[in-house]
Amino acid sequence: MILGRVVGEVWATKKHPALDGRKLLIIAPYLWYAPSHETANLVAVDALGAGIGEDVVVCMGDPARRSLGSTSMPVEAAVCAIVDRVELSSDRGQRPLTFLGGRAPAHDAVTP
Amino acid sequence: MIRGRVVGEVWATRKAPGLAGRRLLLVGVEGEDRALVAIDTLDAREGEAVMVSVGSGARNVLEPGPDNRALLCDAAVSLIIDGEG
Repeated sequence: MILGRVVGEVWATKKHPALDGRKLLIIAPYLWYAPSHETANLVAVDALGAGIGEDVVVCMGDPARRSLGSTSMPVEAAVCAIVDRVELSSDRGQRPLTFLGGRAPAHDAVTP
Repeated sequence: MIRGRVVGEVWATRKAPGLAGRRLLLVGVEGEDRALVAIDTLDAREGEAVMVSVGSGARNVLEPGPDNRALLCDAAVSLIIDGEG
């Protein structure tokens, strides 16, 4: 999964029937684990009721599709958790984490 | 599977069905300045080296069998590394 912030919402009247009644959110990721997939924003289906400005965990790929009840959904990202708080250790290993756009998660509380 | 190190934790009370009570860890990918969020069933601690199963197989770590398809999980800690040689 990836961590990101909800920055907007997408409305559409003409859409694939499988997406009827689904809420679509624009997510700005904080980090990507696959450089080849890295993108500034992505659109994810939300069933949890996340709002703009909240941080969320987004599940990618096949599980995101199947969670909506079918393998034939035209979906590859779904919100799986709404974040209360992110804790990052002060010792992040040899290399510090790179956050997209230089933004770190809002609730970054460095543990002692 | 991806090798990594636990660099943090994500706290969330509102989670998808099936993820209630599961811990979410930030795992830094070995040798890269990137991280991913993975579900932890093994009680991995900060700084520990772990292997993370990614993709559609990750949900099998949480719940085996063919009836786990609704689980919203694409990354799960599947082992904590004690040592290697």
